[in-house]
Amino acid sequence: MSVVPKEAIEVIAQSIGITNLSPDVALALAPDVEYRVREIMQEAIKCMRHSRRTTLTTDDVDSALKLRNVEPIYGFASGDSLRFKRAAGHKDLFYIDDKDVEFKDLFIIADHGLTEGGVPGDHILRLSELGVDPRKLVHRRGDPETRHVRRKKLVIEAPLPKAPLDVSLTSHWLAIEGIQPAIPENAPSEASADGKKSESKEDGLPMDIKLPVKHVISRELKLYFEKITELTKNRSWSIIFKQALVSLATDSGLHPLVPYFIYFISDEVTRNLNNFSLLFALMRLAQSLIQNPHIHIEPYLHQLMPSIITCLVAKRLGSRTSDNHWELRNFAANLVASICKRFGHVYHNLHPRVTKTLVHAFLDPTKAFPQHYGAIQGLAALGPSVVCLLILPNLEPYMQLLEPEMQLEKQKNEMRRHEAWRVYGALMCAAGQCMHERLKKFRGVFSPPSRAVLRSNGKIAAMMTNKRKASTDNLMQQPPLKKLATDGSMGAMSMNSMQVDMQGAAAGFATGIGASHAGISSMSRQLSSEQLSGRELGGQTGKTSSVLAQAWKENMDAGHLVSSLFEFFGQSMFSFTPKPELSFFL
Amino acid sequence: MDEENILKFVSAYLKKKGFKQTEHAFQEELQHSKTTNSSSSQISSNSQFDPDIAKQILSFAESENGPTRYQDGYSKLRSWTYSSLDLYRNELLRVLYPVFIHYFMDLVANGHLQEARSFFNSFREDHEIMHLRDLQKLEGVLSPSHLEEMEFAHSLRQSKVNIKMCQYSYELLLQFLHKTQSTTILGIINEHINFRVYPGQPSSISDDTEVVTLTGSSQDAINQVNEKEIHWGLLEDSLEERLEKTGGLTSDSEKAEGENKEPDWDDNKKKPVEGGKQGSSIKKLKKDKAAGAAGKPTRSETTTVVMAPRVKPELALPTVSAEVEQSILEDLRNRVQLSIVALPSVSLYTFVNTHNGLNCSSISSDGSLVAAGFSDSSLKVWDMAKLGQQSVDSGLQGDSETTPNEFGTSGGKRSYTLFQGHSGPVYSATFSPLGDFILSSSADSTIRLWSTKLNANLVCYKGHNYPVWDVQYSPVGHYFASASHDRTARIWSMDRIQPLRILAGHLSDVDCLQWHANCNYIATGSSDKTVRLWDVQSGECVRIFIGHRSMILSLAMSPDGRYMASGDEDGAIMMWDLLSGRCVTPLMGHTSSVWTLAFSCEGSLLASGSADCTVKLWDVTSSTKVSRTEDNKSGNTSRLRSLKTLPTKSTPVYSLRFSRRNLLFAAGVLSK
Repeated sequence: MSVVPKEAIEVIAQSIGITNLSPDVALALAPDVEYRVREIMQEAIKCMRHSRRTTLTTDDVDSALKLRNVEPIYGFASGDSLRFKRAAGHKDLFYIDDKDVEFKDLFIIADHGLTEGGVPGDHILRLSELGVDPRKLVHRRGDPETRHVRRKKLVIEAPLPKAPLDVSLTSHWLAIEGIQPAIPENAPSEASADGKKSESKEDGLPMDIKLPVKHVISRELKLYFEKITELTKNRSWSIIFKQALVSLATDSGLHPLVPYFIYFISDEVTRNLNNFSLLFALMRLAQSLIQNPHIHIEPYLHQLMPSIITCLVAKRLGSRTSDNHWELRNFAANLVASICKRFGHVYHNLHPRVTKTLVHAFLDPTKAFPQHYGAIQGLAALGPSVVCLLILPNLEPYMQLLEPEMQLEKQKNEMRRHEAWRVYGALMCAAGQCMHERLKKFRGVFSPPSRAVLRSNGKIAAMMTNKRKASTDNLMQQPPLKKLATDGSMGAMSMNSMQVDMQGAAAGFATGIGASHAGISSMSRQLSSEQLSGRELGGQTGKTSSVLAQAWKENMDAGHLVSSLFEFFGQSMFSFTPKPELSFFL
Repeated sequence: MDEENILKFVSAYLKKKGFKQTEHAFQEELQHSKTTNSSSSQISSNSQFDPDIAKQILSFAESENGPTRYQDGYSKLRSWTYSSLDLYRNELLRVLYPVFIHYFMDLVANGHLQEARSFFNSFREDHEIMHLRDLQKLEGVLSPSHLEEMEFAHSLRQSKVNIKMCQYSYELLLQFLHKTQSTTILGIINEHINFRVYPGQPSSISDDTEVVTLTGSSQDAINQVNEKEIHWGLLEDSLEERLEKTGGLTSDSEKAEGENKEPDWDDNKKKPVEGGKQGSSIKKLKKDKAAGAAGKPTRSETTTVVMAPRVKPELALPTVSAEVEQSILEDLRNRVQLSIVALPSVSLYTFVNTHNGLNCSSISSDGSLVAAGFSDSSLKVWDMAKLGQQSVDSGLQGDSETTPNEFGTSGGKRSYTLFQGHSGPVYSATFSPLGDFILSSSADSTIRLWSTKLNANLVCYKGHNYPVWDVQYSPVGHYFASASHDRTARIWSMDRIQPLRILAGHLSDVDCLQWHANCNYIATGSSDKTVRLWDVQSGECVRIFIGHRSMILSLAMSPDGRYMASGDEDGAIMMWDLLSGRCVTPLMGHTSSVWTLAFSCEGSLLASGSADCTVKLWDVTSSTKVSRTEDNKSGNTSRLRSLKTLPTKSTPVYSLRFSRRNLLFAAGVLSK
């Protein structure tokens, strides 16, 4: 009848010493016990509410008992709620999971002297004080130490539990003018969005809720994406990867995958800066994507560009010295250039931003040479006008920095010298290409003053040759393969041999004229005046149209350019002058 | 029906009931009457019995053959009610619950405990939604002595339940009972249900709020109580009013105004102190009219406060110093106007590492001080202004160490001031309006007054006999009220250690209380599921609000003094109109106990904080307006609108407070 079985009453009676409780009494007591317990629990719930809690604790029961003027039950008070475990096989029977504490873990047996000397007094606790007979404990352990135990003291080994942290108060904005700021103290916004949603439904109010857009891609596309990423990561030198690149560059149905690819590229680049082959594969992937005419990649450029620029000007690409990161930089430079070319007109600040980044890298003397190399290559790929505007003005100070690094006696580190030479080569290519463009432009009007120029150039060339004999030799000594790599991106110069010829010719020419020992600066001044006179002469020879006058002016600049370039690179510049002019020179 | 039959019935009945002596006496008397043959007059009067009643008596005698009848009878009634027409079902369903509990108690009283249990368990589910708490209480009743002992059951047995029913439903019910000859049910209905039959169509579901709630007095008495006049207007010459008068003047001219006003203010104050009572009773009438007139016109949302009628204070009010007044005026001038479109900023104070020990928290009116009462009898006060600068704090801590309440600071810098003095869990704390005093109430049945300036205990108020659940300062300070487990609320003033008034009437613990904006009334919420409004001056109960289905945990008064909000254990919030004593609209949304409620300063928003870790903002203006214009159309239109739910990460919200500038402060304990 009652929830409390009469057996329970009997057990309780026995526990307090009443052995001869008649069954009738137990039966009558059982419902009353239930009634009293329920009453107490209702009071306890009241106390719980007033303690602003929603879980009942032993403290609540204690205070309920106090309200009834009943002695509270001691020994169950605990700050935290008790952990109940379900008794096996019973649905509604629970017990408190009380962990057994091993005395072994809690105590060590220590010498008198040691404990008094070494351990602070209040940490020493006799087991007898805890109500435990130490002898029993020791006997149970039964190890050989037993004999010595009588002279030793039991000491709590385990450190005292940490004092609980004191109450503290923090404050934050739950809402600012009704809107919850997204700060870590507040509940995540999804929850609030949900709440808002249900609320608006309830009230039937028109509320503008933006649901998170789920991007659904088909299974085929998923497979495709997985395959491509797998190929990129693991088999980037296989033929199938090349085919995949072709597919990426031509397939028309890939647009849904673009954000995933872009994310994949940027993610992998940031994580795998020392994996050269993967980086190269990623760049090729990016190139294919850009090439694909069906993909509208423009909105993703801002995500893609940092990855490519990273591959261009990163301090280290790949982990081994054998990794040809120069090639990767060249590749990335071309990629940047192609992107700028294609999207520069729609994406207005793309060009300026790229050049700014690169110039920063170029002009920062603290950056490593590979970074300079990348920046120069990138700028060069952007076109001769960029080179003319951004590299050439800085050429002189930069050469001063670069020069000592290139010389054998000043830079002992082979690696570094090699890098410096690479940069030198890149600079040369860039400047040369620029000059080439200029000269080509004025091919028609170049002939008259060429002699004068030639003459002065010759002078300078001689100067340079003398000065840089060793360095030029050094350049020449480079293995042809590397040489090729240096010039690889510049299709224009594949005439290694010609360079050598030219050198010889120039040298001869110089000796013919005789070495002049004036300083470089004065020389250049002299040169410019000579050029000037030469041009004026040219002007007088019959070209009078205004267009041509303008051209002359520019040509004058070009002359300047050429002269200064010769100053830095010597006769190797000749290789960049278009052939007809070259023939003039010679 | 002849006399013989009746006599037979009577004797059979007596035999059945085991009234042996009576039966014996009856038989003797019968014999006697037969022999003397002079009992004609008596029996003739008996013979005028309605045959109907005789039949009932007959059936009663027959049916009294065991407790199983109860279960059958009730289940019959139940299935009949559930299968009745939709139109009348709602009304008829209301009969089920009283019949159920009284059936059960009858069974217990007759000693059929086993049957009572099985009967209770088989039909318990029907009523769980509406009456869970009562059922939990009744469930434990297992012997007739328990019925006697348990106050709840006792009063249930003695009181009558009011059920409103339309004529037709009533007839249907009676017809059914007669047809099935369910006399026990008829008996219960006669004994414990008071039908209020009205002509016309049955009412809609919305009237269902009139649940069975014990009030300790009959419905008529309650109606009478609720007829009493109350003056819900604001105090005249309040600072708000003065601000309105001065309008947008600059602070300088404001100051001058304030100074000019000063003597005025004093005069006003003295009047009621010295002997304003007769005067005020006359004025009351006038005010009444004013109140009636002012209640009708539609108020604009922003000027709610202004439109409220003015009343005289019934209490002698404390003086306010000029500087304080200035600062309050400054706050009022800088108040942010809140509305449906301009929601408040909420600053949440989160307690961490409380180890389940925090019972209550309170925020001072400017939000700079936060007090928290703990179950280890301590009261701790945080100064939020100093919280950022711990190093400065430690220096100050050294100063306060000299006071008797400060010890144990050796542990290093503590960010709070510790007040020790109570000898039981602290259940409530409240700041005086100016923040210079704190009152705390505890399970040790005392209330203590602390000074935040001196960091010391000033007074210990003893009067209650049981734990004091709640204590609240009046809006003007000086006076305070307390609510206790001893079923009373008491009104105190700071300068006396004896209570000024004892407000008795609740049938169970008084769990929370709140002062009316004009200090003339106090509302109390109780475990007996009612809210009562008391007149401070007379100590009389002037309103009883019935409608909650569980213990009331929080109360809030609207700043214009017309409305009151109450929140209960189940998460329901009810908005009451003080004048009519009716529920304007229930606010459903919280899923757990509503610990705290607060009205914004101009009364346009209600904020509620709950154990379900949310702060909800409710639109008050639209709902009250709608209800006034469409009083009869009680439907979804009058529902208060939930404007916004602000979930905290994992912090049940214990207290809410709008500062005078309408910044909302919330406090709660981080729980895992």
